[in-house]
Amino acid sequence: MDDQGFACAGIRPLSHGPAPQKQRWYRGKPIVSILLLAGIILGCLFCNAFIPKDPTYMDLFHYDEAPGREFLFGTDAMGRDIFSIVWYGGRLSLLIGFSATAISTAIAVVFGAVSGLAPRWLDAVLMRLTEILLSVPNLLIIILIQAILGKPNVLSISFAIGITSWTGIAKIVRTEVRQMRSSEYVLAARCMGGGFFHILWRHLMPNFISSIMFMVVMNVRNAIAAESTLSFMGIGLPWEVISWGSMLSLSEKALLSGSWWMILIPGLFLVVTLLCVTNIGNWLRKQTNCRQSNL
Amino acid sequence: MSETILDVQHLTHQFRLTKHTTIRAVDDVSFQLQRGEIFGLVGESGSGKSTVARCIMNLYRPAGGRIFYRGVNVCDPKQYRMHKNMLQTTRQMIFQDSTSSLNQRMTVADIIMEPMAINHIAPPGGSLRAEAERQLHDVGMDASYLNKYPPELSGGMRQRVAIARALSMEPDFIVADEPIASLDVSIQAQIINLFKHLQAEHGFTFLFIAHDLAVVKYLCDRVGVMCHGKLVEIAPAAELFAHPAHPYTKLLLSAVPIPDPRLERARVLQTFDPSDLQDTGEMREICRDHFARMPVEGVPH
Amino acid sequence: MIRREFLYYGKKLLVFAASILVLSIVVFYVARLAPGDPLVSYYSDRVEKMSPEERAWAEEKLGLSDPIHVQYVRWLSGALHGDFGISFKYKADVLEVIRGRLVNTLLLGGTGVILIFGLALLLGILCAWFEDRWLDRIICKAGTIISCIPEFWLSLVAILIFAVWLRVLPSSGAYSAGKSHDIADRIIHLILPMSIVVVEHLWYYAYMIRNKILEEVRADYVLLAKSKGMSRRKIMFRHCLRNVMPSYLSIMAISVPHILGGTYIVETVFSYPGIGALSYESARYQDYHLLMLLCILTGAVVILCNLLAQVINERIDPRIRANEAAEMLEVKQIG
Repeated sequence: MDDQGFACAGIRPLSHGPAPQKQRWYRGKPIVSILLLAGIILGCLFCNAFIPKDPTYMDLFHYDEAPGREFLFGTDAMGRDIFSIVWYGGRLSLLIGFSATAISTAIAVVFGAVSGLAPRWLDAVLMRLTEILLSVPNLLIIILIQAILGKPNVLSISFAIGITSWTGIAKIVRTEVRQMRSSEYVLAARCMGGGFFHILWRHLMPNFISSIMFMVVMNVRNAIAAESTLSFMGIGLPWEVISWGSMLSLSEKALLSGSWWMILIPGLFLVVTLLCVTNIGNWLRKQTNCRQSNL
Repeated sequence: MSETILDVQHLTHQFRLTKHTTIRAVDDVSFQLQRGEIFGLVGESGSGKSTVARCIMNLYRPAGGRIFYRGVNVCDPKQYRMHKNMLQTTRQMIFQDSTSSLNQRMTVADIIMEPMAINHIAPPGGSLRAEAERQLHDVGMDASYLNKYPPELSGGMRQRVAIARALSMEPDFIVADEPIASLDVSIQAQIINLFKHLQAEHGFTFLFIAHDLAVVKYLCDRVGVMCHGKLVEIAPAAELFAHPAHPYTKLLLSAVPIPDPRLERARVLQTFDPSDLQDTGEMREICRDHFARMPVEGVPH
Repeated sequence: MIRREFLYYGKKLLVFAASILVLSIVVFYVARLAPGDPLVSYYSDRVEKMSPEERAWAEEKLGLSDPIHVQYVRWLSGALHGDFGISFKYKADVLEVIRGRLVNTLLLGGTGVILIFGLALLLGILCAWFEDRWLDRIICKAGTIISCIPEFWLSLVAILIFAVWLRVLPSSGAYSAGKSHDIADRIIHLILPMSIVVVEHLWYYAYMIRNKILEEVRADYVLLAKSKGMSRRKIMFRHCLRNVMPSYLSIMAISVPHILGGTYIVETVFSYPGIGALSYESARYQDYHLLMLLCILTGAVVILCNLLAQVINERIDPRIRANEAAEMLEVKQIG
């Protein structure tokens, strides 16, 4: 159709405005967050290559020193070099973040799928149970679990955090599975004799993974924050086991002596990590939303 | 043609809507399938055809009645468990809507290989993938489709993939639940011809569910007509279309459009009052192999 | 009609009672099965010097020698008569132990919830009003950053700045020594913990309100109202806000426990004598009766809030179902 034809049909030809700007590949992606997070993760993993001091060595002559040339970020009340331990301790914090998320996601997926595939009464009972579990403050559950598991270590902390943070994902998985369970490809798989875990793994999981991805990333963030909170309150890792949280557990002394670096530096690392993870999570959420609306 | 492969006896199933209301979806349905025949089940939507199919495939547990497949009562949990492997490998189902019966996130190859993988079957063609390719070839698609995802295919192709998936187990018995209802007419013809061809080649027993009478007439050896959960008439296809006995069957037949406009204009729609079904009719043999549910005291028209 | 109402609320009440019962059983068993010596919290160091006979006598006296289910039945029958047992550590009726601290926590948490509720509404409306303008953007960015900061660290930094460097606000406690009835003193002590609680949670709810309003603003009825010549402000407050309120109320009801959990952490950092520090203590030192009462108190609040949310949803706004509201809540930080 020519221009006149368009006019007849009542359609305005598109006005040729300024040429659209060239789309850059990184547009809309949280590049800064990804780079920062990658930097922190790599730095923590390969910290042995560049940290100047032995992170476990307590220098009794240089405790509580302000940041300076020898101690870039100062030393803590035990005489450890903060620059060294902040990288070294990041390992454990990140490790706990990821392993706790793995535990909680696994529980959530299985629980949500069982609840979603179960008959209505069982589903109601299971959901009521999660509500009861939610009604006990997480802190108390964690203390009780810690008491049962004995002396806190990385594994027990991950377990305690994981077991208290799965309900949100489980609820989403349940709703998604409820919608999918009567769809014909699940029926078809059942006809073929596929068992519960086969159907979960091959059919359900690929379909709900995108909708829980955001929650999973947020769970990493929450687990890292939880570890630091627990260690700070003295229920998590003891101060000899270095993580960002256990470094901050010495902050009470730091407050008395006014040594700000002991509080601000590990905390900044912590907050920057959490912020990066949150940004990535938010980006993921937007992605899944776009995809859903395009379908 | 004499061996009975499927024997459905007095099958009844109901759905609970609320605490007090239940819907009787299938009501006292009985029929037999002989080995190697194509049996068509027709009826309007909501008449319980799909429920019968799903009961036969153990997707629903029927409220009453028995279903024997090769002499095994599949409704009995104990017998079902004992013969589970045989039942799962020799019976296959094809669903109505290929968009939802194929998982959108699996490739065509994965979809076709899935039943073999679940049942740990070593394929005759060597690797699972080679077998998938052969099956795909049999339904008229080439190997280039193996790595595609269902949304990339057209409706007819998706249904072909679903058929290939069912055939990959070399089953004795296939239930197809309105496999062509969601396709275009020209594609419907292709798929029907494919069914006819494959059935002749593999010789499986075929329960074909449809609401399109012309298709059933073309494809099936025998036909059962369902109405409001009841089976009202069973007869060989030619006999049914020539001499329908039950008023509902007559109604259905009179509703089929005729491709000739002059005849079409002269067509008269039969009337049928569903309340006629409420009185207790029973299946009676009108002539050889032709059964119809008739009021006890009534006489065939 | 009245009968149906009666049945409806009766059913909710029954659910509440059953949930509390299950909760009490679970906590009771878990607490007893967790390793640890409850005698330590009663007799402190003297436990180590006790002979086996003395131990047996002490356990008998505290009612710890019977099997767990007998203990539970005894506790339950006592609790139904208002007797929740004695605290091992404080050697007093648990109700007495809790009373003073409950007021402190309610002061912090309750005022916190009200402040969050009101401020979030204001901030949300403000952001929606100036959608995508600089004010909205700044508030959104700042909110994302603040909501990422763990509560305890924010408290630490606040103490560092206001108590250590500026020396304008007290760093701990609920009142200065000997001034427990001085209201001005109490308020000064509340400023820091309260601002932490509010700032930490405020953002999440403000953001939610903002998005809900923006969704609402795009609905067709807004166009209609506009074409009738209604002013922007009137549309916002008369129509949009009214439609947003029910879901906001129900989400607030569900999230009360999160805010409560947050106060527990803040209480610990500021050594604020409230329930949070107490429950932490009682769980660590096997102070069974105290732990039970605290768990049931918090559990009751949480379950009540959940039921309240359900009632709001089912009665006031039938458009959303209860679980949908729950799913809108992301898993929040520990607390």
